[in-house]
Amino acid sequence: MAPSQAAHVPTLDGLIKAFNSQPLEASIESLIFLLKRRQVKGDECAKATAHILRQVVAKSKWNDVDQLLSRVQSVGSRLARAAPLEPVIGNVVRRVLGLIRDEASEDRNADDLASEAASDIQSLTPSTHPAPRPAPVPVRPSPSLISTGLQVSKSMFNLLSVADPGDSPMTGASTPMSQAQPASVHALRSEVMDGIEEILDEINQADDQIAGFSEIQIHPGDYVLAYQPSKTVERFLVKAASKRRFTVIIASLAFPEGATEPPYATLRKKLNAAGVDTINLASNGLMAYIPRVNKVIFGAKAVYQNGGLLVDSGSCIAAQAAHEYLKPVIVLCPVYKFCPEDPSDEVSRGELGNPSSFVSYANGPAVDALDVENTVTDYIPPELVDVYLTNLGPQTRHHLASILADHYKTEDIGFSLQLGEP
Amino acid sequence: MSKQGGKGGAAAGKAKKPAKPGADEKREDVLQAVILADSFQDRFKPFTLETPRCLLPLVNVPVIEYTLEFLASNGVQDVFIYCGAHSEDIERYIHESSRWSPASAISPFSSLEFIRVSDANSIGDFLRDLDKRSIISGDFILVHGDVVSNIQLDAALAKHRARREANRDACMTVVLRSVGEQPHRAAKARGITPVFVVDPTTGRCLQYEETHPLQSEHYLDLDPAVFSAGQFEVRTDLVDCGIDICTPDVLALWSESFDYELPRKNFLHGVLKDWELNGKMLYAEILDDGYAARATNLQMYDCISQDVLERWTLPFVPDSNLIHGQTYRRVRGSSYVEDHVVAERGAKVTQSAVGRGTTIKTGSVISGSTIGRRCKIGKNVRIENSYIWDDAVIGDGACVVHSVVAGSVVVGANCQIPEGSLISYNVHLDSDIQLPSEPPARISALTDEKQLAETDVSLVGKGGKGAQYTVVADGEDSDDEDGADGDPAILQSSLIYSLQGLNLSTSSISTLASSDAYDSDDDLSQAGSLQAGESSHARDRLSSFASDDAAKPDDGFHTDAVNGLVDALRADDSDDFDGAKLEFMGLRLANNASDGAMRRAIAVAFVRRAAELLTPDHGALEPTKAAGEALTAKRGAVKFVKEVGVGGEEVASQAEFALALQKALLGVRDLEESGRAGALLAALLQQLYSLDVLEEEGIVAWWADERAGEGEAMGALREKCRVLVEWLENADEEESSEEEEEEEDDDGEESD
Repeated sequence: MAPSQAAHVPTLDGLIKAFNSQPLEASIESLIFLLKRRQVKGDECAKATAHILRQVVAKSKWNDVDQLLSRVQSVGSRLARAAPLEPVIGNVVRRVLGLIRDEASEDRNADDLASEAASDIQSLTPSTHPAPRPAPVPVRPSPSLISTGLQVSKSMFNLLSVADPGDSPMTGASTPMSQAQPASVHALRSEVMDGIEEILDEINQADDQIAGFSEIQIHPGDYVLAYQPSKTVERFLVKAASKRRFTVIIASLAFPEGATEPPYATLRKKLNAAGVDTINLASNGLMAYIPRVNKVIFGAKAVYQNGGLLVDSGSCIAAQAAHEYLKPVIVLCPVYKFCPEDPSDEVSRGELGNPSSFVSYANGPAVDALDVENTVTDYIPPELVDVYLTNLGPQTRHHLASILADHYKTEDIGFSLQLGEP
Repeated sequence: MSKQGGKGGAAAGKAKKPAKPGADEKREDVLQAVILADSFQDRFKPFTLETPRCLLPLVNVPVIEYTLEFLASNGVQDVFIYCGAHSEDIERYIHESSRWSPASAISPFSSLEFIRVSDANSIGDFLRDLDKRSIISGDFILVHGDVVSNIQLDAALAKHRARREANRDACMTVVLRSVGEQPHRAAKARGITPVFVVDPTTGRCLQYEETHPLQSEHYLDLDPAVFSAGQFEVRTDLVDCGIDICTPDVLALWSESFDYELPRKNFLHGVLKDWELNGKMLYAEILDDGYAARATNLQMYDCISQDVLERWTLPFVPDSNLIHGQTYRRVRGSSYVEDHVVAERGAKVTQSAVGRGTTIKTGSVISGSTIGRRCKIGKNVRIENSYIWDDAVIGDGACVVHSVVAGSVVVGANCQIPEGSLISYNVHLDSDIQLPSEPPARISALTDEKQLAETDVSLVGKGGKGAQYTVVADGEDSDDEDGADGDPAILQSSLIYSLQGLNLSTSSISTLASSDAYDSDDDLSQAGSLQAGESSHARDRLSSFASDDAAKPDDGFHTDAVNGLVDALRADDSDDFDGAKLEFMGLRLANNASDGAMRRAIAVAFVRRAAELLTPDHGALEPTKAAGEALTAKRGAVKFVKEVGVGGEEVASQAEFALALQKALLGVRDLEESGRAGALLAALLQQLYSLDVLEEEGIVAWWADERAGEGEAMGALREKCRVLVEWLENADEEESSEEEEEEEDDDGEESD
């Protein structure tokens, strides 16, 4: 049986699958609404942004770098506005913008444009990245198509028609186009797409890379407090468990009503299988355990340039408690979560969630009488954090500036402010 | 209502094309939804005079946006929208919306179609029309155009499918939200309390009833069949959010019962009642988390608005900016403010949503309210728990408490708008106006006929515009969800839930019902008719066949007489009716019953017997046969009816008896599919006619009697006899000779 017990609720994976079957604008819009409806959130946002920007580069019409930049900026700012409390989106947009600028300046220096373009195609086709699906993207012939000359000429035709000034919405038809430009546009396009693939790889591999540092951070016999372990933290702990014997104290909110298993049951099973003891803890009992704990670990949603963190609510208590007892606080955060900006007012107040986590809507008198503010994010000031464990290795907050400088271009930092309402 | 099916009865839906099960499975991955954008109610009047209900702003977002977004968030692909009133407005709105327009590339739906039904009077007509179109290929979601919900239906859909795979007759899943047993604002606001009898192990819905605070008896009768389920729960703590997961079979059911109008009171109740006949199983999916509610009336509107502001509906909250161009941000004071809002220093906004371009002058205090776009709020204004729609102007020093102020309203300086006021579009209030608080004002610039109302200077002041809008309270031309139930509609039509001023004392109503209701039927005074009719209606609706008598403990004569007669009619051992007749006359003397009471008792008894014969337990006779059997099985019964029931040759008393029959049928209406009740009435009349108990003048006089067509249900019954009456009127010459022959035949039978 089971005739596609297909879940109908739209997801990111579903969207990525649908990229090729629907127009670009539809994909962008569906992602925006997935973000607005919180159907894509947290770590998925970065991936989603990279995927959609890849589509923007591949599908939208542009004749030069500036047009591409403005396209990416406008799509990026729409995404960022859709989820103002997911700063990761902005980071990925900035990374892509920086990438375009880099590639463009390289291109200008390169002499042999045509050969580069050709080699690009060759270098692209064999590398089937964990990209959504090797379906034909207009400018990127798939291996099967290459064998027939007709198809290639068709795609070449597309290629030219993309560069046709008449089609461009941005420039007037009078813009003089040199013969070499289509080729350079094509080369730039594939280079940028390559670059975005790399960013995607980085995002996908970041957790593993961070986990690679686990044995340095965790010592045998440690008592590690993990506050509401995220996926990143889970992987980190499991990796450490394969090498070390230690004890994990998993702190979380109260036992969720109606849940059949205690929270983080799968994580505990994995850790226990590796011989690591676990202790489950409700967050209000956390203080009692702090003296026993050697280090506190949690994941961040974002790191601001001052070193402050955007985290799941409750982490701040753990960090503060650890700070009082001079226990090291280790924050796991991949580099793509570093934001080249300061936390906004909204961030410091925290995002408000659904009150039903604390008061059931079925509790009539409480619904009437109480005004429940359920903050789902916390802001942790930089002085409470000791180590930022990134995929490039552990850092202190004094070195954050260099990481930011390495990854973002100053002109892209305020990208979303440069454009008004689209 | 479809009239052509007048005599079809239960057979009407048989012609329905067989469902193509193969196709169902194939297209299963495409989720279809049907939005009922009109509910044929007038609870939002006077606002709905100008704007359809689903476009009224709920926290500055048209209600239908919530519904569409809910469907989109559940991955619905095909949407069909049924519009009634203001259909052009809704279509224009959707087509101009960049997000939903079917022409737009960014629409999350692969198709969105409007379906117009020119002569639809109820939701039932919509669904029967949908059945005819056969555009629904598999399971679909049926929602109303006023649903606000953030639930994810995947789990419910999967369960529904599993049940359907296991049993083809599991055709519908009703999604319900539990709100607990303690008093809850959402439960209070809905006015009518739905009562679901559910099997907790399987989720199967066994019985559905409705109660409301104004009915005379605060109890329900359980269908005896419920007990066969082994285990059941009677739940009144459920908010019916109007989200149904249906298979196409549901539409076939609607087609079969062509007089069902309301998805709950008629359809759900009826289908569950007739479970033995149709074998269809309906399930309830009771959710304990997530948010789901329908803005069915102003109180629900109020309640949902508060819930949205308190974020119960996340992600459907203002700062998600789900509408294109909205720029809400959460600011201090738990408020949501769009860009370009100017709140002067000293203005205080808490727990509110304020739309773009609104200016709030100094000293004003706004709390728990939503303010639309481009409003101008003067100095030192106080606005509490109110809903101010776009472009309204509130003058300096005015005070608005728990009211709705619609678009482009101008409220003069220092006006006092007390709790519960409803001020519709374009009304102007002069300065220093104090609106009445008891009852709250309901001011509209238009009358019910959409003409410009004559300005009532005493209400809105010299410079004002608009007049008190009076709700048309008759149940006949408003196909309200409560049909003839005037009372719960009264509860629901105001913004403030209040039982004040309504006659709630059960004693007074039940006194009316027990002693006078039946006797006064013949000459009901206008004042009495509403309440008496009301209570008897409520009783009929809530009483099951078996315990019908117990429902009228005070009415000794009626109960005893009916019981005695029915027993005599049922008796297998003797075929003599004389004993029963004697007993009846004795009762009559003992109770000093009036002619009307006797007539009614006899009518009820025969109708009940005939109705009983229709049921499978007693042979499932055709209506004609059943009527004949009931009247002629016992010797002397016909004579008894003629002498005592009709009580004379006069046309008037014959008409009265026909009327009594009709009313009696209404009483057992819930047992029968209404179509059969109509058919039974026609059959009874025809039998009585051929037995010479009623003459054609009598039947025609009944037909002409306005009481026979009074109310929806009565009208429906009466309609079924049209054929008979027309036949009587047209063919009386030819018939007269045959009639005599028949009469002889019957007489012969009788004397057997």
